[in-house]
Amino acid sequence: MVSTTGPSAAVADTPAASAPRVVSPFNPANAVTASRFLTLPPLWWAVAHGYHQWATLLLVICALFDKLDGLVAKLFNCRSAFGEVFDAIADAICYGFGLILVAAYGWAPAIPVVFVISLGVLNTVLRFVYAGRAGRTVNYKSYAMERIVGYTSFLIGFATSGMEVTYFYWAFVPVMLVIVLHDAKRMLVDPIPAIPAVPTAPAAGARA
Amino acid sequence: MTDLVPSGVFQWFLILTTGLVAGLWFVHDIVFLARLRGTDRKDPLVHDQRFGYMMGIVIGMIGVIGALLYMHDTGVI
Repeated sequence: MVSTTGPSAAVADTPAASAPRVVSPFNPANAVTASRFLTLPPLWWAVAHGYHQWATLLLVICALFDKLDGLVAKLFNCRSAFGEVFDAIADAICYGFGLILVAAYGWAPAIPVVFVISLGVLNTVLRFVYAGRAGRTVNYKSYAMERIVGYTSFLIGFATSGMEVTYFYWAFVPVMLVIVLHDAKRMLVDPIPAIPAVPTAPAAGARA
Repeated sequence: MTDLVPSGVFQWFLILTTGLVAGLWFVHDIVFLARLRGTDRKDPLVHDQRFGYMMGIVIGMIGVIGALLYMHDTGVI
């Protein structure tokens, strides 16, 4: 089984320090993240048959799982760099699929959706560049990006529920553009933060 | 297959979900942005936080306005 280690793995090099915690990718948090994909086929079915309320409900479930996986990771102490990247990938797949779906069935305007997906793809490419610069598995995070992801989940909900769709979609485009450009500069130019140190038990021999 | 709830209930669910979340988001980010006053703007973390909270305020405003527009368009107000 392939194992993934979190940021803490790079610390703890003293003889008596606790061994770095190895977290399997097959853990409860990643299972919750993966279970989000199960909402996509019924979402497609609901949109294809014009069931707005069912589509909205499935989207809410998908978004709740997104929140739940972080709680499960804390509860079972199974946070890992892979889990963070997998969560970001799941966001991209679920929200990308949702946006394409609502645009394809005419529930959302196509032009802003094309803009949003293009910016999302650009952001994903930049994340890979950032990981390459860092030389390790790392998920780029920013406060603004967290907010735009939250808006994205609502964005699909606005389409499935028919709530001010044109307004919300066109308002989203400039906000996302500003955030992607801002984060592009951080990912491509700014120095990469060091791996955060995780406190470990002090080694006996290391005491002064 | 019928709807899950009557359309009026669904409308109120949308208004409350969007309006409350956006409103709370707006207030939350204003408060947290205000707390950053006096901190070092050149610190990358502080800069990231400031930008994030500013974008959060904009998104919160968009959400609140959208909820009000929807209330107007559906005849709730």
